Amino acid sequence: MAQESGDLVSDCQFWLQKLSGWDQASTLETQQDTCLHLPRFQEFLRQMYEALKEMDPDTIMERFPTVRQLLAKTCQNPFILAYDESQKIVIWCLCCLINKEPQSTAESRLNSWVQGLLLHILSPFRFDVKEVGLFTQCLGYDPVDYYPGLLKNMVLSLVSELRENHLNGFNTQRRMAPEQVTSLSRICVPLVTLPDFEPLVEALLTYHGHGPQEVLWPQFFEAVSEAFLLKKMSLPASAVISLWLRHLPSLEKATLHLFEKLFSRERNCLRRIECLIKDSLLPQAACHPAVFRIVDEMFRCALLETDGAPEVLAALQVFTRCFLEALEKENKQLKFAFKAYLPYAPPPLATVLLQLPADLPQGCWLQPLQHISQLLREAVEAQAHGSHQGPLESWFLLAHFGGWADMAAEQLLRSEADPPAALLWLLAFYYSPREGGPQRARTMVQVGAMLHRLRQLSARGRLLARDLQAATGERSPADPSTPACGPLVRRLLLGFLLGTPEGRTIAREAVASMAHTQDRTREVIGVLDQTLSRWGRLGVEAPSAGALTRALLEELRAQVQ
Amino acid sequence: MDPLLQHLERFSEVLSVSRTPHVSTWDQATVRRALQWARYLRHVYQRFCSHESIRTTLDRQLHSLRKEGGLGAGTVPGLTNFEALAHCDILLSLRLLKNPALGDAACHYLLQQLFPGRGVPDADGETLQDSLASLARRGSAVHMLRFYGYRENPNLQEDSLMKTQAELLLERLQEVGKAEAGDPGKLLCSLWERLPQNNFLKVVAVALLEPQLSPRSQGEALELGSPQILREGSQDLVHWLLGKSEIMGAFCRNVPAGLLTSVASRHPALSHAYLSVLTDWSRHLHYDLQKGVWVGAESQDVPWQELYTRFQSLCQAPPPLKDEVLTALKSYKAQDGDFEVPGVSIWTDLLLALQSSA
Repeated sequence: MAQESGDLVSDCQFWLQKLSGWDQASTLETQQDTCLHLPRFQEFLRQMYEALKEMDPDTIMERFPTVRQLLAKTCQNPFILAYDESQKIVIWCLCCLINKEPQSTAESRLNSWVQGLLLHILSPFRFDVKEVGLFTQCLGYDPVDYYPGLLKNMVLSLVSELRENHLNGFNTQRRMAPEQVTSLSRICVPLVTLPDFEPLVEALLTYHGHGPQEVLWPQFFEAVSEAFLLKKMSLPASAVISLWLRHLPSLEKATLHLFEKLFSRERNCLRRIECLIKDSLLPQAACHPAVFRIVDEMFRCALLETDGAPEVLAALQVFTRCFLEALEKENKQLKFAFKAYLPYAPPPLATVLLQLPADLPQGCWLQPLQHISQLLREAVEAQAHGSHQGPLESWFLLAHFGGWADMAAEQLLRSEADPPAALLWLLAFYYSPREGGPQRARTMVQVGAMLHRLRQLSARGRLLARDLQAATGERSPADPSTPACGPLVRRLLLGFLLGTPEGRTIAREAVASMAHTQDRTREVIGVLDQTLSRWGRLGVEAPSAGALTRALLEELRAQVQ
Repeated sequence: MDPLLQHLERFSEVLSVSRTPHVSTWDQATVRRALQWARYLRHVYQRFCSHESIRTTLDRQLHSLRKEGGLGAGTVPGLTNFEALAHCDILLSLRLLKNPALGDAACHYLLQQLFPGRGVPDADGETLQDSLASLARRGSAVHMLRFYGYRENPNLQEDSLMKTQAELLLERLQEVGKAEAGDPGKLLCSLWERLPQNNFLKVVAVALLEPQLSPRSQGEALELGSPQILREGSQDLVHWLLGKSEIMGAFCRNVPAGLLTSVASRHPALSHAYLSVLTDWSRHLHYDLQKGVWVGAESQDVPWQELYTRFQSLCQAPPPLKDEVLTALKSYKAQDGDFEVPGVSIWTDLLLALQSSA
């Protein structure tokens, strides 16, 4: 306890000096410095309160002789009192100084002094507009009655001036000077979380001056960004997007904030991922190519850092889907070419990939799939010779549109004929982009063989679990598996189990043996979730398959809880 | 209903007393009871704020309570209207805090009640502590806007101080109008006598321009500035202005030309009166041959420049006002002999000046 109050005493000194320097926050520099320190100062006030409330007034004066000065100066600084909960904490601190039973005149005077400061904080107007005061008094109104209306009117007046600026252009009489707009944005820094200020914040965010330079205070953007992400204020989507377009760090913070929620310890299901992504407003904002490219880049970094972790991949795919939906809804007259969003993608490839799978009837998947495979293969083989990026660029592009990989898998499972090399290549590439040519060829052969065996088994009729083991060659030591094989084989196997009546009869047993570790279980959950989600979107669900999948999903989820 | 009315009455008294030296007799128990009552009445407000009929009844009751005391003429106002119930606990708390007569023990108790410290969630949402903190925060906001972001809007009807005063005036007028034996005219006269006239007249002008009403949906809570209030109040204002010529004259004198033109456009009755005032002023001027200008005989006569400015403003108004004014001017000119030569009839000169500037 002594240790803590020792620290606090030196903190007191530090802040007292600071406050003296800030005076009443009258100059630009003092205002700026004050705003920078607001959160720290509030934290300090909290700590002071925790200490003070345990002591009686005499002890306080002994331990913290400068506390009166500190609190007095705080009360003179409107920026501090306007911020968050600082005014409340200051009041609490002041109350600690009151003597319950003053023994001397000195103590009485201290009490009155504290009361005076309290009233100073609580009385709404610390400026004297005589006529207004007299007017309201004559009508029998108390400041408490009308100050909310006054604040509202002041905000509305400023908002209309800001909007007017926009429309009036060169009508100088009505125009707000740039310094005034900057000044306003500075005032807003402590007040962004006050609901009455929301129209003003919105007007400032959508305000565009007539000069090329940014006229709003950078701290203003930071304050808004933080308040919005912590849900301490609500803003319409247009204002948030304007914030991100004008202040890059806010966009980055918003994306990181989303990532934190998406990639937290507990694995989120796809529906939740979609909700989180849509709520973040990033897909809408990404209709601006600049925003899309930044968010995309951050996804790329996340994928690289986590070595292609499935949850990141899933999130990227959901984001891309939401983005395309938002783009569809935008009725902007000027639509950007896709090249603006994906500048490194070869145009023919981008065009094909962007086709929505739902638009294609099931029987017509083969041709576009082969086309995609061919284009990708060309790109990859070209990149392998000399480009330092390697095949990862192409893979990243494909990763956005995971639906195609799913379609390829489905196509392979359904067709009676020999599996087309193009599809095998596509899937092998998707599951393991880093493989060299020979390795990939081996993967393709293994997968092809497996598919053949599965087809033979299903033709026979009833299946047994051990038949499957043999088919997939999982436990066979003689066959060295390539890195792609594991997840790809399991994916195909699951597709087989859920997609055929024979498979469904042994699905439970087979899944149980697949899910023998936490990681494997999570992998299977991911595949089942994706499958259900895809069926839902494309409307291709077979009722029995759906029910079974859902049941399996529930059971597996219970296992990892 | 009756017990509620009694509570209102009693609390209103308490609120009045809270400003007087009488609080020196209050002890902790008294303070506690007063705060409890205030809290109860705040609940009442929340329950009934969208019930029009109950609001009106309670408003009437409060008004009749106040009637004897008048408006701050010696006695201290208690609860002024139903709206005040929304924050009657804040009102009470602040009055007690400000009152130096409150004893030390009672004051200490009050502070403990108002600011208990962290984390005591209240059943009905926002605690008194939070309301007071919010008050302080918004007060700072107003202060900051005023000192760092505010300048008086050249367009008075959009100036926030003016608008707020206008809204308050209209709200009061509406209450008085609805009360039994309420007399808005009397209220306005008493304000006229007690307030600086310049500011008051400008507020009246702004009040006359508040937006027209939109149909109010059933059960919508009345707030400060809601359109229904505004329409009813303005009729009283027009009536009052037209009542005494000296008031109308002062109105036309003190309110800036542009604002007055807007008012006249909105209220035809006032535009006629305005025009006749201007006519009257014009007739007081005579032509000074030596100086070549129109001057008044006495110091309080309105100078030519001001007359001209006002007529010019009127001629920029949308029709029908603009046409009415021009027609009137032309007919006066005709009455005077229809001269084209300057210096003979003020109407000629005015029209000439107006045409050359158009």
